[in-house]
Amino acid sequence: MSRKLTVVLLAMLILVGAMSLKTVVTAHDNGAVIMANGGAPVPPTPWKNGGAPVPPTPWKNGGAPVPPTPWK
Amino acid sequence: MPGLVEYLIWSLCTLLEAAVVVCAIKRGAFRKYVFLNVYMATSVLVSLVRFDILQHYGLRSSQYIYFYYYTDALLTIFLYFALASLFSSVFSEMQAEQYVKLGAVLLLGGTALFSYAVVYQSQAKLVTHFVVELSQNLYFVGLVLTYVLWGAVLKLRETRTRLIQMVLSLGVYFSLFAANYALRNLYPSMNSVLQYLPPLFGCFLPAAWAYAFLRIPEDARLAPARLAVIR
Repeated sequence: MSRKLTVVLLAMLILVGAMSLKTVVTAHDNGAVIMANGGAPVPPTPWKNGGAPVPPTPWKNGGAPVPPTPWK
Repeated sequence: MPGLVEYLIWSLCTLLEAAVVVCAIKRGAFRKYVFLNVYMATSVLVSLVRFDILQHYGLRSSQYIYFYYYTDALLTIFLYFALASLFSSVFSEMQAEQYVKLGAVLLLGGTALFSYAVVYQSQAKLVTHFVVELSQNLYFVGLVLTYVLWGAVLKLRETRTRLIQMVLSLGVYFSLFAANYALRNLYPSMNSVLQYLPPLFGCFLPAAWAYAFLRIPEDARLAPARLAVIR
């Protein structure tokens, strides 16, 4: 029984480790997906319809440079 | 549509994948490494169908997009089982196969649950979101598992050269993709260059495994001291 529990613990630890690693790697996520099987050309992700350029986020008004945060 | 260079790299990759299966059959190792060979054979088959769909419908067609992402998830699951079979081989002398199987199933189920938890708020295309998310998460689980396996290889003083070659090449393969992915996210301006590297990386694993089947005999052994030096 203890061996099985050890396996469960190890599986959960590996899952936490892998998801933490993914979070670190995708910290600056630009929407790219990682594709690691074969050499086929990667199509756009299914939920990105069309090839239009991505607009700026709605809360960035105008193109002015972003000032430093007020609390610094 | 992809250019000539991309088609050439893709063809090379597919040929190398087929070479893995051919070399394994030639060396009588197909059944011993059945999951690795099933992964490579499926990858060849998927590449052929992808090529056909790409020619008929184009890169941005929904047919190619859906077929690509759904088969990629399938291939990642097969690669995960191939990795689990390498775990079984390393731990075979400890009679721990049942624990490896239990751990593999638990980890796969946990990853699927986690992926669902991430995407369940997506009302539109929930299944597609889930499939892509599962593929991504399983990829990172595979990356961590490979390093765990390499730790076990060192700790257990594994000496089977072919097995070590396969584990190491898998580690390099996963690491190359992860590094490329991280760089693409960190430096989006370099995306135009970095996006061409994954197809090249994709050739590495079949090349290394084909070499392992072709040139390294099953009974070849490494001296434990040499592994210790690597550590």
